[in-house]
Amino acid sequence: MSLVIDNISFSYGDRDILRNFTLQIPPGKTTAVVGPSGSGKSTLLRIIAGLLTPATGTIVLNGYDISRAPTHLRSVGMVFQDNQLFPHLNVYDNVAFGLRMAKVDKRIIAERCQELLNLVGLTEAAKQSVATLSGGEAKRVALARALAPSPQVLLLDEPLTGLDNELHDRLAQDLQRILHATSTTALLVTHLIPEAEVISDAIHHLIDGDQSPQVGIRH
Amino acid sequence: MVSHSSSVIVRHVRLLATPATILVLVAAVIPLVVLSTTVVRSADIISIWQNPAVQKALVFSLWQALLSTIFTILVGLIATWYLTRYQFRGRQALITLITVSFVLPTVTVGAAFIAVLPSWLHHSTFAIVLAHLFFNISIVVRTVGPRWNSMSDQLIDSARTLGATPLQTWRHVIMPLGKSAIYSSAALTFFMCFTSYGIVTILGGPGLATLDIEIYRRAVQLGDLSGATVLAVAQMLFITIASLIWSRSRSVELMTFRVAAVSQHKPAVVPKLFIGALTIFFLAPLLALSIASIRTGQNWSFSGWKVLLGIQNQRGLQVDIWQALLTSGKYALIASCIALPTGVAATYAFSKNGSTNGRWSSLAILPLSISPVVVGLAILVTYDFAPFEFRSSWFLIPIVHAAIAMPFVVRATLPVVQGIPPDLRSAAATLGASPWRRFCFIEIPLLRPAITTGIAFSMAISLGEFGATSFLTRRESQTLPIVIADLFGKAGVIPRASGMAASLLLVIVTGIIVLSVDRKPHV
Repeated sequence: MSLVIDNISFSYGDRDILRNFTLQIPPGKTTAVVGPSGSGKSTLLRIIAGLLTPATGTIVLNGYDISRAPTHLRSVGMVFQDNQLFPHLNVYDNVAFGLRMAKVDKRIIAERCQELLNLVGLTEAAKQSVATLSGGEAKRVALARALAPSPQVLLLDEPLTGLDNELHDRLAQDLQRILHATSTTALLVTHLIPEAEVISDAIHHLIDGDQSPQVGIRH
Repeated sequence: MVSHSSSVIVRHVRLLATPATILVLVAAVIPLVVLSTTVVRSADIISIWQNPAVQKALVFSLWQALLSTIFTILVGLIATWYLTRYQFRGRQALITLITVSFVLPTVTVGAAFIAVLPSWLHHSTFAIVLAHLFFNISIVVRTVGPRWNSMSDQLIDSARTLGATPLQTWRHVIMPLGKSAIYSSAALTFFMCFTSYGIVTILGGPGLATLDIEIYRRAVQLGDLSGATVLAVAQMLFITIASLIWSRSRSVELMTFRVAAVSQHKPAVVPKLFIGALTIFFLAPLLALSIASIRTGQNWSFSGWKVLLGIQNQRGLQVDIWQALLTSGKYALIASCIALPTGVAATYAFSKNGSTNGRWSSLAILPLSISPVVVGLAILVTYDFAPFEFRSSWFLIPIVHAAIAMPFVVRATLPVVQGIPPDLRSAAATLGASPWRRFCFIEIPLLRPAITTGIAFSMAISLGEFGATSFLTRRESQTLPIVIADLFGKAGVIPRASGMAASLLLVIVTGIIVLSVDRKPHV
């Protein structure tokens, strides 16, 4: 399940957001793109998800060019910066959403949701309204929801923003553990290098739409 | 943080509802109670329902209201989506056009559709449904719009990344998030169409009548006050009970008039076509009205305008348009002067502790669905006994207009009052502002846009009110809508052209008032 991003460029009007961005994520590994606010990190994720159309370049997932595929057919999961949990659905229904969209059998949905809620440590919260969740719990639900349909690649847009230091560090460890345990191919964007170091296997820098060489590889 | 109890507004919160309560008691509740207890013959309570005309009116009221509601919700939801999510040239103008259409006098909307539709469609259910769509689409846009506008793009994106198709996103995310607003707007649209009077009077012709028209016919033309009252009370009870059942099972969404617009997307081909068609739908009746005002039969002529403005004499057609304009203006001014302070005070009573009390919210929706015809009839019967012989007094008309307009003031100001963070008042208090000064220097400035909207809408509603006024008006105190209805009731091409001209005049006056006071209505 490798992701190859080849020569992607994107601009808003005259302003270049990304210039000839190229990246390859090996199967089952997590790669981080680190950069300051406005460097084009989120734009990169939105292009991979099919929420924005790049001016040039291709995205190849698992050998298939998905550059022109609509978002819902890309098999790309995404954890948004502010979670974007559906306020009218409870925790369980949020996690089950993607599976229901794929018309998966109810029994399998129940098993998969149970498995994921276990994984993120929220089994007891299944029937809870998402409005009552703490910041950390909401992040875990967002992660479980994105993982539930077993996407071929998971995109993480500053997934730990807004948490206090202790919770942030704990969730970063948990996230690394979960991604590793599920062998998920993932792309993390963040402005925090220490966060990237904990979660990812490789780190790239992005400054004003320009890519700097890969700076660190674990394992 | 300063507690609410220290605020001058909240300390006397219950007392603030007093003026509104008195207004509603005087203009609606007392007359309705008196009406139902004085003139009704017990035999009529059952026998009136066996009358074929009544049965026909009841069935027609229900089914045209149902059809109009379905149609309005369908078109309204698509319009709301495009207006809240897309940025396009003329978007603000279209929103303004839709807003103005809601406060246009019903008789002029009827006249405009007579002008735009071919004659074989004039007295048809189709014409009525179309006019109801024109009139009520604003309810959907302004109730559901703020809901959808506050929904982040990323919420829809997250559904898409979870594999939802556009249709699934609509079904599982967009519709459920607007659900309570959609239900509320459907309920209000249904009640407005069920009690439709002005539009059906003009577009229904002699064959199609709602219960409201039947009430008027019985009371005024047949002199059957008892039968008319039975129908009026039954209609009132039906609407009240239906509203209460509806609001008990659901949260009531208020129609708001001011919410910041946030839309960045450029529309694709289908949205563009829909927006174009919607613009034509709203402009065509008004253009047709202008053209019809200068057509007498097959000829182009300004005779309609000349007769209307008193420049040309026409036998059997005496119109004092200037007097009618003056009377309408006077009533509109008085009505808004009553409705505004009463409505703002009621708003503070409703928004106790910063959240709207459910029961109060449903009460706020109720006066909008009480038939003005019923109110007019009830007042006529009630204030006919000494020492309350006010039935021929002119001041009853603006009081009734104020009672009808007051819910709009509440609806315009309530979201703003609720949106004022308590800490803002606390901050002012820590800076030494007394409760009264906090009200004057913090709350009033924040409320100003909503207050101007409230004034504009009160005036527009008073200018266009037809149902209640048609009962209470006297020859010397005729308002513009009454003059229009009179003109359309006369045979001949010149009265028709004059009626169209008077309708256009009323549209222009209403439009000027709404646009000059409320320059930028947002969705």
